[in-house]
Amino acid sequence: MKSQIADERPTPGQASVKTRRFSVSLVWIVPIVAVLVGISLVVHSILQEGPTITLTFKTGDGLTANKTEVRYRNVVIGHVSDVELSDDQKSVVATVKLSKQAESFTREDSKYWVVRPRIGAGGVSGIDTLLSGDYIGADIGQSNNRAKNFNGLENPPPITYGEQGKRFTLHTQDLGSLDIGSAVYYRKIPVGEVVAYALDTDGKGVNLEVFVHAPNDAYVTENTRFWNVSGIDVSVGANGFAVKTESLSSMLVGGIAFGAPPYSPDDKPAAENKNYDLFNDQQTALAPPNGRPQYLTMRFDQALRGLKVDAPVEFLGIEFGRVVSVNLDFDEAKKGFPVLVGVVVYPQRLGQAYTKMLKVLHHDPDDEAAGVRLIGTFIENGLRAQARSGNLLTGQLYIAMDFYPKAAKVAFNPDARPVIIPTLPGSLEQLQEKFEAMVDKLNKLPVERIANNLDNNLVELRKGLAQFNAKTLPGVQTTLQDVSKTLQSANSTLAEDSPQREQLKQTMDEVSRMSRSLRELSDYLGRNPESLLRGRPKDAPAQDLQPSRN
Amino acid sequence: MITNDRLIICEHCDCVYEKVTLAKHQKTLCTRCGGVLQRYNGLTVQQRLALSFTAAVLWLFANFYPVMSISLQGLKNSATLWDSVLALSQGPITFIALVAAISIIIAPVFQLLLLIWVFSFALGGHRSPGFKLCMRWLETLRPWSMLEVCLLGAMVAVFKLAGLLDVLPGIGLFALAALSLLLIRIAGRDVRDLWDVLEPAQNPSTEEVMDEVPNR
Repeated sequence: MKSQIADERPTPGQASVKTRRFSVSLVWIVPIVAVLVGISLVVHSILQEGPTITLTFKTGDGLTANKTEVRYRNVVIGHVSDVELSDDQKSVVATVKLSKQAESFTREDSKYWVVRPRIGAGGVSGIDTLLSGDYIGADIGQSNNRAKNFNGLENPPPITYGEQGKRFTLHTQDLGSLDIGSAVYYRKIPVGEVVAYALDTDGKGVNLEVFVHAPNDAYVTENTRFWNVSGIDVSVGANGFAVKTESLSSMLVGGIAFGAPPYSPDDKPAAENKNYDLFNDQQTALAPPNGRPQYLTMRFDQALRGLKVDAPVEFLGIEFGRVVSVNLDFDEAKKGFPVLVGVVVYPQRLGQAYTKMLKVLHHDPDDEAAGVRLIGTFIENGLRAQARSGNLLTGQLYIAMDFYPKAAKVAFNPDARPVIIPTLPGSLEQLQEKFEAMVDKLNKLPVERIANNLDNNLVELRKGLAQFNAKTLPGVQTTLQDVSKTLQSANSTLAEDSPQREQLKQTMDEVSRMSRSLRELSDYLGRNPESLLRGRPKDAPAQDLQPSRN
Repeated sequence: MITNDRLIICEHCDCVYEKVTLAKHQKTLCTRCGGVLQRYNGLTVQQRLALSFTAAVLWLFANFYPVMSISLQGLKNSATLWDSVLALSQGPITFIALVAAISIIIAPVFQLLLLIWVFSFALGGHRSPGFKLCMRWLETLRPWSMLEVCLLGAMVAVFKLAGLLDVLPGIGLFALAALSLLLIRIAGRDVRDLWDVLEPAQNPSTEEVMDEVPNR
């Protein structure tokens, strides 16, 4: 404080002195500056303060108050300020203070999960957290609504940070060995992954959600088929032993491959969230589309050992369906146990035959009654089903549908659903029946009597033979001796110097002379034919009677 | 009694001298032991009050902002003065935590509060209520206030850890440094001048006088 003391001087006037009651020293700037700095710090921190949210996790594993950070793309956007049990002690509630610029992370569909080291068959992640400690990963949402409380995910979402690509839904009977994170392959290159799976609403199937990253999502087209490539496909064929697998990873954790049939005209990229069926293998996936299924029932009056569900159904040798059920039935009228076989056939698999038939008959594939009538006419023409043996070794049966015009007529019931196809006994069974009939006939033969008769005959035969030996054979011997004698005498008769031969020679000479005289006569007659009438002239010289010299 | 006010005793050898008025840059020394008897103090009461307020603000900074933060491979930690006291109290040496709390938090804050109390009345030219008690407590607290020790410890920690970890000195450390320097300046023996500057109240009660005598 400054106080002024008025001077007392003999001066003409006395200035009036005004005393300032409070004078402020410049030193006050110092605390003011300090306070200002303090205020600015406080204001700064208040301005920096973002929204506070709560995350609910199953466990507080890796969460530490004031230490665990919340990161997005590895940039810190907040930190956990408190970790405590929920009121019902069933979960852990972490209070997170987000920074100012992370305000948009309060969107309702934002996701939070704890990043910790994970080592699985599909890969290793979060190794850096081994040193730095766990942190909370965040992914921004799209929703316009804001929320304060979030449920923390137990596993990191496979697709984060708004990755470009498309999601598709696949329907399948069961999950198989697929899991979240299983890769999706296109031409054996991993281009996406399974991001979610859930049961159907009716629990009769599984819906898989797959994500295909851009730019490869353009290869998923309207015609694309998806199939399962989990595990190893071992096949033994005419070409030898073949092992097929998509990759080591798909062998362990399963995988899905997709592709379009080679000939797919007018194909365009599929829309987001399109639904597809997941086939069991590539072959069935790339087969022509099955079209409308047609359920048929067949009733066999024979045991069908070896007929399994999924056995093929063939029409004139072309596979176009499969067996879906094999059940035993009780026939009230016959008191028998026929086998009811349910099959599903896909007429469209017959290809050209089917399309041509539709065109010619002006048949509408959606008109069920007309379809049944068509089957009725086929049955009229002899369409019959038969269980045939596909493999003699294993005894596997398949159902063959064929035309047998000679088959007995069967009444067709057009109102029965599924349509009942009359059957014929199987080829092997027919063979068996014939064989049985033959055996029956053989059984009926009087084998015993025949054997007795045969025995008697044999006895007689033996007797005859003994007689033959005793009596006939000596006779034969004497006869043979006689024959030998005869031959001997004949031989001597024909010998060189035998009298018979002499006589024969003389005879032959006589004959020769006789023939000569005959020639003379004929010559004479040739010259004197009148002598035949007049006789020989008397005066004829004697030399004229001489035979000619030639 | 009044003459006694003009006398001064050497702290080191109990030699008695007469007080003198000092100009700038002057100090008086004991002729026997050479110890400093008086030093020129250029600060007015108002300046001291202002500095006391500054010190109070700095104390707030030092206590509510982290003194330092360390980080190693993404692991981060930071501590305020109060955190360090709490950390000590959770260990097996709770008693040390009490000492630390007194010497680095409680003693300075009491010193500052007493100074502000005394100086704000001194600004008006008269003694505050309980002036004698306050002045005695200021003397008592002075050896207990060990902010500069704490500052040294923190500095040593910062430099030692710097090789191993990433150490970031926080706002608290700077505030602590400024505060310890300020406290040396304003909470020193110069406060005793107030006894001379401020006349006792017009009718001091005998109790106050009686109270003062045995302490002196």
